Amino acid sequence: MAMSYYTKKRIRDYLIHFIMLAFLVITLFPIGWMVFTSLKENNDILVGKIPFGTAHNDCMKMELTPTHLWVMSSDGGINKIDRKDFKIEAYESERTSSTSFVTDKDYVWVGSANRVLTRVEKNNLKEHEDFDLPLGAFDQAKVVATSVIRDIKNDRLWYTMQYRGYEGLIEFDTKDLKVVKAYDLANRFSPFQIKCIARVGEYIWVGTDKRLFKFSPETGEMKNNYDIAAYLPQGPVQMDPMGDKLILSGMTGAHIFDTEKGVVTRTLLKDRAQTVLPAKDAIYVGTNVGYERFPLAGNGVTRVENLFFSVNARGDIEKDNGYVPAEVSAMAVDGPTVFAGSSYGRITKYNAALGRVENSAEAHKGHRVVSWVNYVDMWHNVDFGLYLRNSFFICLLSMIFSMVFATMAAYAISRFDFPGNRTFSMTILLTQMVPYLMFLIPIYSMYVKFYEITGIPLKGTFFGIIFMYSIFFIPFSIWILRGFFAAIPYELEEAARIDGCSPWQVFWHIVLPLAVPGIIATGVYVFLTAWDELLFAWVLTSADTMTIPVGIRNFVGNYQNRFDLIMAASTVATLPVMVLFFMLQRYIVKGLTAGAVKG
Amino acid sequence: MKSKDKALPCLYVTKGSFLVHLFKDAWHRAKKYRFAYLFVLPTALGMLLLHLSPIVQGIYMSFLRLNQYTINQYLGAPFVWFDNYYNLLINPNSPIRLGLFEAARNTFIYTLFVTIGTLSLGLLVALMVNRQFRGKGMIRTLFLFPWVVPTYVTGLLWGFMWQRGVGIINIMLVDILHILPSKPFWLIGHNTIWAIIIPTIWRYWPFSMLLLLAGLQSIPEELYEAADIDGASPWRKFWTITFPLLQPVWAILIIFGLIYNVYSFNIVIMMFGFGAGFPGEWGDLMMTNIFRNSFMQWNFGMGAASSVILMTTMFILVNVWFYFFRKAEERRS
Repeated sequence: MAMSYYTKKRIRDYLIHFIMLAFLVITLFPIGWMVFTSLKENNDILVGKIPFGTAHNDCMKMELTPTHLWVMSSDGGINKIDRKDFKIEAYESERTSSTSFVTDKDYVWVGSANRVLTRVEKNNLKEHEDFDLPLGAFDQAKVVATSVIRDIKNDRLWYTMQYRGYEGLIEFDTKDLKVVKAYDLANRFSPFQIKCIARVGEYIWVGTDKRLFKFSPETGEMKNNYDIAAYLPQGPVQMDPMGDKLILSGMTGAHIFDTEKGVVTRTLLKDRAQTVLPAKDAIYVGTNVGYERFPLAGNGVTRVENLFFSVNARGDIEKDNGYVPAEVSAMAVDGPTVFAGSSYGRITKYNAALGRVENSAEAHKGHRVVSWVNYVDMWHNVDFGLYLRNSFFICLLSMIFSMVFATMAAYAISRFDFPGNRTFSMTILLTQMVPYLMFLIPIYSMYVKFYEITGIPLKGTFFGIIFMYSIFFIPFSIWILRGFFAAIPYELEEAARIDGCSPWQVFWHIVLPLAVPGIIATGVYVFLTAWDELLFAWVLTSADTMTIPVGIRNFVGNYQNRFDLIMAASTVATLPVMVLFFMLQRYIVKGLTAGAVKG
Repeated sequence: MKSKDKALPCLYVTKGSFLVHLFKDAWHRAKKYRFAYLFVLPTALGMLLLHLSPIVQGIYMSFLRLNQYTINQYLGAPFVWFDNYYNLLINPNSPIRLGLFEAARNTFIYTLFVTIGTLSLGLLVALMVNRQFRGKGMIRTLFLFPWVVPTYVTGLLWGFMWQRGVGIINIMLVDILHILPSKPFWLIGHNTIWAIIIPTIWRYWPFSMLLLLAGLQSIPEELYEAADIDGASPWRKFWTITFPLLQPVWAILIIFGLIYNVYSFNIVIMMFGFGAGFPGEWGDLMMTNIFRNSFMQWNFGMGAASSVILMTTMFILVNVWFYFFRKAEERRS
């Protein structure tokens, strides 16, 4: 059966509509891609990762209960993993930065830079509460690390952070949920940076990049200080108490420190120690490739490698590539079974007696990160505010001047048949055919010569560039505006003349109001063109009068591989004109079509 | 005012010589049009200063040996007659001649493809948008968005998208759609010409669409109704009604395209080496070539000479266009 005419027409119409919408998507894709890229992390861009990046979910702390394995990751993620089938039973991300964890029977305490101190209920991870600590004003992005420890005896929590200029320690009561006291650790070694803290007996031990301090909370003063620079020149990253001993670990090794004598008694490792776990009969130290087990009695060291799955360039775990050496950043031990965690949330269950990996799991992926910080970075790296101001100022004034003169000239050309009219119109058209590079060198030289003769600078000043732009956009504006004036009925003006109006009055009261839409359209077009102009601005502006294109060009040359910043700058350069266009598009569409088609 | 009678015949009798007579006549007419002259005066002065005098200086410069040693003397630099032109066009040992030839070839290909691409895409979308459906104005505005993106941003953005390893175009073609077996280089070698043509089409076709849409809307509906009664197919209607009646619009668009594309600079300069590099032998256009000769190798005389050559060529082309345009206009009326 043949389809009716109208069915065919409708099908065709739907098809055309679909093609049009598809084409619209393709057309707008580059703009969307620009904005999207400007919100991604540069590392993700450079490995060709398409979606927004995820926060790093490197394992930071592990805790064992008889039934479960708790894995805390650096994005504030808390994973409750069943020990039998190794599946995540519950997960919650606190979305923190510079995170540190400490646990007690019912709660996980999360210390962080952006949320300071958070308490999460173990039985119900959704249940969390934030506490504010008296830290003063600080920049979250510049906090290197936070450190939280627990005091079992009297339900106290101690919080500090590694931040330039911060030398404090905060005591927090976990029963009453309030700050007990904030201590100032500043002493004769200031300024120093606090790396980590640990509690042994009555004292808080504070590891800094200069000294190891023994701090007494009761008197609130420094008892003693120890120089451990020979062992850890940059200070300890982690300190774990073991009886009256302290295990200091850091970038250059792991050492046992006797707190009674104040000396290092044994060196465990002379390499980067990722984590230290003091167990009943041995000390486990996570290294860059696996872990090492140091028995408390005797000297036999066990080294274990090849624990984790490999990770590809995009940060995805590849299970079919087998086990590879990777750093161990968190550990938990139960008899012969060793649980180890690594970067990218890789978790493994290793049987030390049999010497093989029994099970593997992945901590939950970190939350998606929209890095607004690119815009802040870009704004700090270049003086973008200045460029924006300059561009607005120059474009606006150029637009106003060129529109005033172009309106006058276009009116004169379209209405008066004066001698020289044709020559003038032709000259206007012909100047459009000259490569504008040809103007550049003579104008540049003229500006320099003018300065040499009169002492008035033109190059590098607002006046010079605005003057040049104003003149340069006149010919095109005249060409478009002529069409508008031609469209205004001549009878109107004749009637006004007969009523006794002067030519000026006719122009001002009759013609100009009718031509306003066209003038707006042309003005916006001139603004857009001036905003777009790179070459003359490049040569004729200085550091103070630089416009956006010149600023971006200089900036891009210095940050060739920072695509995130380049795209952020591009977005900021595009946005103002896009908003302007969107607001005035009715005028522009009408104006340009009327003027250009008729002209 | 514009009136039907031509310039006034000088009937009044004057004493004195022919020159005085001429002067008085001119004065008389100038007085009549003093309002118009007053309005044109600022523009004329400005253009004399910043348009005509630079052109004259530029033409004169093309006869000078103006390089980094003589730039201080500017117009007092040694006059070498047609040396620059000889080196640009004839001298087989001159490296600049080869560069200019390549740039001219690229500019020709570029202008041709961009003009055809913008016109055909613009016409296609204008036809699709010129129907009755909901959200017509919104979709038309959205289609115009690429035209508002500044050209330097276009260059940066597409330069990023063309990147071999991390660019979205290669990721799309190879990793997602599996159209190509391996990732090609877009910004090196022969592909460069496409890498500059496609962004330019993307940036400029909405403008053609805008004008063509206005042209389409000005075609009277009765013509189509009459064709419908005669049972004409859409294809036939397009070729016998739409296309011929759009002729003034695409004539304007061709001349716009010619001028814009031959003098295209921003997109190419920002795409390669982020505003400092050499676009390669398949990406170099006339403007970037002249710019490099002038401002990076400090050979201003040579730059001026190539500008003059380009200007002359454009002048001829525009005149040819004008000739055909006029002829078509006469035929229509």
